[in-house]
Amino acid sequence: MRSEQMRVLIVIAVIALSFIFLFYPEKGRTGSSIFKNIKLGLDIKGGTRLDYRMDLTSALNPDVNTLAEDVRTVIRRRLDTAGYTEAVVGKVGSGLKTRIRVEIPGITDPSAAERLIGKKARLYFGEIVDQTESVEKPTPKYGFKYEGTKWLKVKNKENTWYLIKEDIRIGSRSVKLGGEHITDARPSVDTQRGGYKVDLKFDSTGRKIFADITKKFVNKQLPIMLDQEVIVAPVVQEAILTGSAEITGKFSYADARELATLIKSGNLPVNLIKVEERTMGPTLGKDIINRSLKAGIAGLVLVLIYMILYYKSMGVVADIALLYNAFLLFGALAFFRSILTLPGIAGIILTIGTTVDGNIIIFERIKEEMRAGKTVKASIRSGFSKATVTIVDANLTTILAAFVLYYFGTGPIKGFAITLTIGVIGAMFTSLVVSRTLLEALSPFMRNKYATAEEKGI
Amino acid sequence: MKKDKNNNKKEERKTINGRPLIDFIGHRKFFISISLTLIVISIIFFFARGFNLGIDFRGGTEAIVCMDRIPNRSVTIGEIRSALTTIRPEYKRAKINELKPLAGGSSGRQRFSIVIRDVLSTVNQKTDFEKHIVEVFNTKISPKLNTTIEGFNIVGGFAASDLKKSAFWAAIIGTILLLIYITIRFEFIFGVGAILALVHDVIITLGIFSLFYIEVNSPIIAAILTLMGYSLNDTIVVFVRIRENMRRMRGKPYGEIINLSINQVLSRTINTSFTTFLTVFVLLLFAGSVLKPFAFALTIGTVVGTYSSMYIASPILLGWLQRARVKHARR
Repeated sequence: MRSEQMRVLIVIAVIALSFIFLFYPEKGRTGSSIFKNIKLGLDIKGGTRLDYRMDLTSALNPDVNTLAEDVRTVIRRRLDTAGYTEAVVGKVGSGLKTRIRVEIPGITDPSAAERLIGKKARLYFGEIVDQTESVEKPTPKYGFKYEGTKWLKVKNKENTWYLIKEDIRIGSRSVKLGGEHITDARPSVDTQRGGYKVDLKFDSTGRKIFADITKKFVNKQLPIMLDQEVIVAPVVQEAILTGSAEITGKFSYADARELATLIKSGNLPVNLIKVEERTMGPTLGKDIINRSLKAGIAGLVLVLIYMILYYKSMGVVADIALLYNAFLLFGALAFFRSILTLPGIAGIILTIGTTVDGNIIIFERIKEEMRAGKTVKASIRSGFSKATVTIVDANLTTILAAFVLYYFGTGPIKGFAITLTIGVIGAMFTSLVVSRTLLEALSPFMRNKYATAEEKGI
Repeated sequence: MKKDKNNNKKEERKTINGRPLIDFIGHRKFFISISLTLIVISIIFFFARGFNLGIDFRGGTEAIVCMDRIPNRSVTIGEIRSALTTIRPEYKRAKINELKPLAGGSSGRQRFSIVIRDVLSTVNQKTDFEKHIVEVFNTKISPKLNTTIEGFNIVGGFAASDLKKSAFWAAIIGTILLLIYITIRFEFIFGVGAILALVHDVIITLGIFSLFYIEVNSPIIAAILTLMGYSLNDTIVVFVRIRENMRRMRGKPYGEIINLSINQVLSRTINTSFTTFLTVFVLLLFAGSVLKPFAFALTIGTVVGTYSSMYIASPILLGWLQRARVKHARR
């Protein structure tokens, strides 16, 4: 097969593939736009993005990757149970810069979801050292007896504070008991008090500790805490050896279910600190995309017209190449499942520029060759071979810069780097292969007007 | 001897493509001093006036506050500021902007962006803030406003310093990689020229942002990166031509080679820059408010970038190349 025919085939195959990726109806994907297969970023379609940093000082195991995975799983489970199934939980960055990113599309009030994410949900038992009534948080107590104690508010009781010690002393040793020893938590009907309660089951270690504690606490209160709150402080009737416990408190079903979810989804292995929150109202997003899209298309049309006015028939080639690369870029975005964000649109604008530029470089070279008196066919051939060096050098430096951006950039800048890289590779392909195919097909109809002008005696 | 050369040059290459050669090199001292002056002025602005840094870089909270439009009376920024001040005195310095309704948007309501330095990181802090806003707007402005907060943008100090740090490292590593690539493909001095032109473009563009006190945020960074890409592109295209002509015109004075190269690619430079300018200028005129500063940066950038690739990047090479040739000849 001759290389020209090969080129035509590749040109057709590539654009056909792009169209398939762009328009092939994927399962479970609906949308009103024609570009259904391109995912839009939250800054375009609206929604809330929450970024959390992990407070590593609060973690037992400081391995960032394992922690991040655990945090993701826990948050995912919590959001799923609460019905935020469309939310995306991801990890961005690496090492100490790792962030947990939660993206919740569309909803107007994200605080319910945020409340669920932010809770560390550490369940633990403790000892009541002291108690008091106060509107404000009481001042901490000092002294040997109060070491490791803190004042915690009691749920559903106004102004009641317990001074809680997490280390429970049993004889000469002290023990801790927390949610990590719980294997199951589920809501159930509280037949004695009414409402709902949460049933807990301990693992074997937890069962032993719990038995020891309850032996010591008979007829005394054993408080159960969730994070910074005492949920309930029941009086232990007798030692419990079976390894099951219950949290009572006349909960509503929803509350009991949320509590059970939080306990069972595991406590977060670290404290999460929110570092960033972004909201883009869907209407705000739609305004921006519509207007900017129109402006972008208007600019593009002006460029298309200018190219035809300036370069005549070669301008038509440039215009086809430009549209070709646009579809190629969108097809690639659909294929890689990239998310289109505002900086991504910036990358597209740059891509349009690069494609036009590639063609201009080629056309100017061809003109130069024509001025030197070569035939149209020869001008195209040597014009391309000379322009190739320029285009490759110019675009490889851009790709190099894009890689650096991808590596060091955060979220939106990464998106910019991705569209830029895809776009620039596409621009090189369109300029060097697509435009060449078109120009060579067109060459029999082109005249070397410079040669004739020179012959006329300039 | 020198005179001879000049005569030769004039005889050989007076015109190109039917138009006279433009002398880019001859006036290089003039243009380099103009650029140096602009850079110095920009740097003075950096220190004297500083930047209008968005919450991306400074940390803080932006609240999008919405209220109903009461007939014949629109809420002013001054009213909002004095209402805010009663919540907390330091909110006096809050940044307040009205977000103009766009055609077809929800124009029945007025929308303001209020930026404060506090980082409202918990749900409770946010609901408290919203409560205060609604309360204070109802009492100080009008109870019929039906004020709501459409959304928050919150950036913690940690995230802001993170962004600064990664921008710093991207710049350093990017510079080193570019120098390596250009040294391999061209010569080391070409890399220096390209980087100096980039620094020139970025400093002057930032200088204009400081002068007009336009907010610098993440999209602006993307715009500056884009203009760096364009400027670098322009510069490399000229360099490729210089490299080609250096082989073809061996022994000719460098000034002549460089000047001819810039002239040869001139129509490409102008056409590319013009089409780019067209796109971003239309964007600047008609795009939504979020993209406007972005388009502004790009519009400035195309002009500055085109200028620097013609008048700065290549002329800088001249002195160095000539010195290198003298050294080479002595050896």
